[in-house]
Formats: sequence, structure tokens, C-alpha cells
Amino acid sequence: MNGVATVSLAGVGGQGIILAAAIVAQAAMAAGFDVKTSEVKGMAQRGGSVVSTVRYGSQVWSPVSPRADIVIATETLEGRRALDLLADKGTLVYATTVIAPGSVLRREKAYPDDLPEAARARGVRLIAVDADALARAAGSVRAANVALLGAATHVLPFGEPAWERALELAVPAKILELNRRAFALGRETVAPTEEGL
Amino acid sequence: MERIPFLSGNEAIARGAVRAGLGLACGYPGTPSTEIIEELAGLAGPIVEWCINEKVALETGIGASLAGARALVTMKHVGLNVAADPFMTLALTGVNAGLVVVSADDPGMHSSQNEQDNRHFAAFAKVPMLEPSDSQEAYDFVAWAFDLSEEFDTPVLLRSTTRVSHGRGRVVPRAPVGGEAVAYVKDIAKYVMVPEYARERNRLALVRLEALRRRAEESPLNILEAGTTDIGIITSGIAYAYAREAFPKAWFLKLGMSHPLPYRKIAKLYESVSRVFVVEELDPFLEDQVRALGLPVVGKEVIPSNGELNQEIVFNAFEPVLKRRPPRRRRPVFPPPPVVTPAPRPVDDLPVRPPVLCPGCPHRAVYAMLRRQSVAVMGDIGCYTLGALPPLLSLESCLCMGASIGMMAGMNRALGRLAAAAVIGDSTFFHSGITPLIDARYNETPGLVIVLDNRTTAMTGHQGHPGTGLHPDRSSGPALDIEQLCRGIGVPATTVDAFDEEAVKSAIKRALTGGDLSVLVALAPCILMDRSPHERVVVDDDRCNLCGLCVELGCPAVVAGDETIAITGDCTGCGVCLAVCARGALSLPEPADAGGAGS
Repeated sequence: MNGVATVSLAGVGGQGIILAAAIVAQAAMAAGFDVKTSEVKGMAQRGGSVVSTVRYGSQVWSPVSPRADIVIATETLEGRRALDLLADKGTLVYATTVIAPGSVLRREKAYPDDLPEAARARGVRLIAVDADALARAAGSVRAANVALLGAATHVLPFGEPAWERALELAVPAKILELNRRAFALGRETVAPTEEGL
Repeated sequence: MERIPFLSGNEAIARGAVRAGLGLACGYPGTPSTEIIEELAGLAGPIVEWCINEKVALETGIGASLAGARALVTMKHVGLNVAADPFMTLALTGVNAGLVVVSADDPGMHSSQNEQDNRHFAAFAKVPMLEPSDSQEAYDFVAWAFDLSEEFDTPVLLRSTTRVSHGRGRVVPRAPVGGEAVAYVKDIAKYVMVPEYARERNRLALVRLEALRRRAEESPLNILEAGTTDIGIITSGIAYAYAREAFPKAWFLKLGMSHPLPYRKIAKLYESVSRVFVVEELDPFLEDQVRALGLPVVGKEVIPSNGELNQEIVFNAFEPVLKRRPPRRRRPVFPPPPVVTPAPRPVDDLPVRPPVLCPGCPHRAVYAMLRRQSVAVMGDIGCYTLGALPPLLSLESCLCMGASIGMMAGMNRALGRLAAAAVIGDSTFFHSGITPLIDARYNETPGLVIVLDNRTTAMTGHQGHPGTGLHPDRSSGPALDIEQLCRGIGVPATTVDAFDEEAVKSAIKRALTGGDLSVLVALAPCILMDRSPHERVVVDDDRCNLCGLCVELGCPAVVAGDETIAITGDCTGCGVCLAVCARGALSLPEPADAGGAGS
């Protein structure tokens, strides 16, 4: 909207959505954009659906938007849910991770398997990433959020130096190396397979 | 002929409440409200008690209302500041039996530190307000207030001022009226104000406000009194008495129900007169709303916004206005009803993902035992509120910080037995759980208070509190001992390991059968603070018959499959599911140092 792009980060409370959003925000700033962000904390952090928003452009007023150009989802159901936020021809970068919510654990509801069809119906481009496997390869499954971000770099116009700077600024020093490895693996995994990126 | 009683407004409120079948009255003394409880103490029928403060008093009244007893809670104006936390959310949950909050304001500050105008609280909370102008109305309005409360499922603010409360007049007694008996029904979506349920209750409160406004239009408490001059006066409460003497021939719109306002009745006054005055003490509460209808009015530009009024002040203020030319007639502009959005529906019927208690959460261990007891569980605010959600459904109320104990006490007082327990976190206990516990002890109320002590303020991200002694910079000071603190109050307290299911179970049973007031501290640190490696529960598929008891604990690490129960990598080995499994199909591997083979 008005030259402002919206990136929404969706996932399950506890998956590191807030850190991922902080990295995207730092990268956007390092790339010279004005940035505003918004996050949900408190009760939602206890395993509930969470969405953080990063908006960048030449000048950003609102920290939120009901419509996203890009969604980065750390869990498949939350990615499926976030299709609702995506603008037409938007992009969903999602982790193939599955975390069943209570109603599915108790078999009251089925975990959805219609993501490809639903995305196609809305003209949404899908990028699936096995973020858990990448993070494990990097050293810890906890870095899955950052591995996913690595994959998402291909649809965000920030450039490698901006991302490097963002990681330094946003990630605690103790886990910076782990996250750098995860980020690099994520970046490598998508580029060769996705056309036109 | 029987003598007609000559009563103060406060005595009249007391007797009017008893006439209306009052079950429980409580409050904290404060001029000019004090005599209501004092008068009630001498009347047959209701349970009457002083509470430790206005907040606890209101929570006690709410508990009584839930238990089915009409409840009256009294305080002075500034007391409602103390009770504002329960008051504002009570406006969302609504009531069971009628609940009336009396706010006795003190214009002129005869005995107060400020003269805040508590009519704003009715507007703030979006609840109806009645304002009697003399003792007879004080007597009569209480029954109206209880009926409104039950009909519209809302607390009602009965606002008095010094001259109404401490003025005297004759009060014609009337035949008793009462509400229908309303037994308590567990209703989690109505009484547990977690975001998902609170959003819907908030929507209903907005819809209710418009219904109340329609009621105000036809209510006999809002009277249009014909006069013989071209002057119309809009007024309420004691100001009506002053205006009546200052301008005896004027038309009056006398508002007994002064929130929400009857816009059309106001406009109707303008059909009969060309000048309208608003006569009210303190803030331009009525005046601003009349002006918003686009109608010309004279009010606070001639009459003081501070202190009390009297008939002379009213006359001297408005008399000069009569020399002015009357304002041009204008048509009222009624505000359209506000837009209220419905709660969002789940996207594409996808499974929703409400927050849950973490795998290994010590609260789940306590709920697993508590939910088997036939006791109403009043809850509080923290991670443990999530115990109200499916599948645990173990917690029946969540109003505001510290409300669990006062509500428990109100229920148990009204029912005369230990029918309700309270569940409160350690940080919440220090926040505002101690005062209601002292109150319960003072009023000799039975109850079981379970402090879920996870050694932190978990929900907000593990902040320190007086029980841990930790400060924001991670330095530490003295840590208070909850058990000792309770003993100091004179309440027996024991501490058990929250994961020791036998200890938790027997402690709960003992407390409930004992029937006195006691505290049980269920202690185990928040699992998120424990990063050590955990053993994982193992399922013996041969023994498991897929009964689902373990799944009903709502642990995200226990997954029901078609042919087996699966335990995910999130399992912390807390063992709560072992305790509920009737077939011994779940086990934890022996610790490695014991030489066990493990998983």
C-alpha cells in the first residue's frame, strides 16, 4: 500500500517469531528503508497462534496491516491460516514443520492438507522449506526460524550485507554462530530449486 | 395508622435492599456510605459483613451473586477507584443473581480527599446507573436496580451523594419483592475473561448498552413533569430537589436512570419549552450528552462545577439567563447506534490454536487432581487461567488480579459451606491475594486457596516478585515465604510438590472435607526455567487401550493416533500422564545412573 511492503511472520508461540521479525526489521533498516513493526506477546506466547508484522518503505505510518505481501510461517497450519492475510499473488514461505493444536491432538479436528490447492486458488506462490532439518544440520532445531528466514531472503530486496548486519544486531551473541549457519543453509536450499527468484 | 419511618437515604437503601430479597451485603466504611451496612447489620435476613477494602468487597459480592444471592456492595466514591478492577470486568461477565454497587459521592468534600463524579464510572463501564433524589427514592430504587441487574445481566451502579445519603425523609414501606432463585451454573465462556471469551462478552456489553438505552426511554424512573413556564430543567439526584425549589413552575425531565440517557425523552422536553437548563452537581455529565444531540442548553457556564449546589445557587445562576433571548429552536440529532463488530470466525474452518499449558507445566498436575473434586474453582490471572480451556475445563472464573479468593469467599458465605475453592498464582497472590485471604479469615469464611507457586511471574516472561526476591536487573533480595505469611494471618498452610499427585490429591481432599479456611501451596518451578535434559514418557502399546485419559490432560506432547498414543519430543517427563493412566501403559525410563536401559 502506497509503496509500503508488509511482511507477516506467523507461527506458534515459542517458535521464535519475535526474533525472526526483529531480524527482518533490522535487515530492512540496514537496506535503507523506514520500518515499523508490531508483535503480540503475553498469553498468545503459550503455544497459541502468533503473528508479527514488519512493514517497510520510504515512509511507514502504521505498524500493522490487515494484508501482507509476504508471509513467513514457521509452521504449516499457521502458514495455511495466514493465506487469509496474503494479497493476491503474494508469497508464502513456510516451514514444513507440523505442530498439531489441541483439537487435532484430541482428534476433534483434522490437520489441514489443502495448502497447495488453497494457495493456487488465491494465486499465492508457495515456497516450502524443511526448516527443522536445516536447523538440525546447523546444530540445533531451535534455529529453524532463522533457517526459514535464510530461505525467505530470495523474496526480500535487502541484499546480503543487510542480512549479515541484521543477524549481528538482532541475534544474541551466544547463539549468533548457530543462527548464521542455519541462515546460510536456508539461503542455499531455496535458490537452486525455485525458478525466477 | 402505622407510623411512617423517617429514614436517612442510607437507611432507606438498606431497607429497600432487604425488601428486594437481599442475600448478602458488604462494603468498606467510607463517608457518606457507611450507615448502609450499619443499618443492615440490625435487619433480619441478609448476611452482612465489612470487608478489608472495596475491591475485596465487590469480589465478595460477585461470588455471592454467582451463588444465587442478591448482593449489595457499598462504598464511598473513592472506594470505587479501589474496586475499579473487578468493576470494569464485571461489566463484561455480568451477574447471576442481581448485584448492585452503591457509590456514595461527596460533592463539597465534607469528608473526602477529592470530589470525583462517579457517574463517569457508569459510562466508563457501560452499565446502568440509578440516582435517587431522596430517601423514598433510595428505598424504591434498590428494587428497580436489582431487577435491572438480573434482566440485563449487568451490575447496576446506585449513585448517591452526601445529601441523599445523610438527608432524612419519610419513607412509605412497600410490599416485599424478590428475584427468582437462580442457582449457580458453571459457564466458562461467561465468567472466564481470557481474550477469546472476553471479546464476545465485550460485544454483548455494547449491545446491552443500546438495549438499556431503549429501556431508559420508557422507564418510569425517567419522568417528564409538566410545568407552567417556558423553562425546562434536566436534572438527577439531589440537584432535582434544589431545582424544584428554585424553579417550581418549570418543566422537569427528572432522570432516575441517568445512564444510559434517554435521548428521545430529552428531545421531547424541547417540544414543550424554548429554554432548557441542566442542573447537576460536579461535572457536566448530563449537559455534555445533551449538547451532543445538537440541542441548546445552559449549564456549567452559569453554575459551578465544584462543590455542592443548593436552591439559592441554582436560582441565582439561572435567573439572569431568563433575561436573555431564548435560543433558536433546533432539531435534535440522534447519534446512530455504534457499530459493533462480531468476533472473527476461524479462517476457512481451520483448527484454531488457543494458547495451552506447556508440556511439563506444574499447573496441569494440580488441575488433573482438582478437576475430580466437586467444588467450584474460582480462578485468577496468569498462565494457569489456561486451565479453563478445553480439555481441562478446570477453572470457572477469571475476573481480575486477586479476584479468585474474594469470589470464593462470597460464594461460600452465600451458600454457608465450602462450595468453592480458589486457584491463584504466586505472583498474583502477592499482587492482591493477601488482602482477600485476611478478609476471609476475618469474616470466618471457609475455603481452600491453592497457590500455584511456580516461582515466577510466568505469563509475562518470568519476572521476579516478592516470593522470589528477584529484581529486574537479576539481583536478588529477601524472598517472602507464602506458607509463613499465611500462618501469620492465622490460616493453616501446607506446601506440597505440585507433581506429587498423591500428596496434592490428599491435601485437596483433606482441606475440602475439613470445611475450614486453608491454603495449599502447590510448588514446582515453571518448566520454561528448567533447561536441563529431560527423560521422555514411553508408551506400552500392548497395555494402552486408547481410552484417551492422558490426552484429556491437554498436553501438547501427547498425541492421539489411530492405533497408538504418541509422545512427542516436547515431553519433559513430568509424569502427570502416568498418574491418570488406569492401565499402567505409560512409564518413564529408569534414570541412567540406576543402570536402566531407558528408551
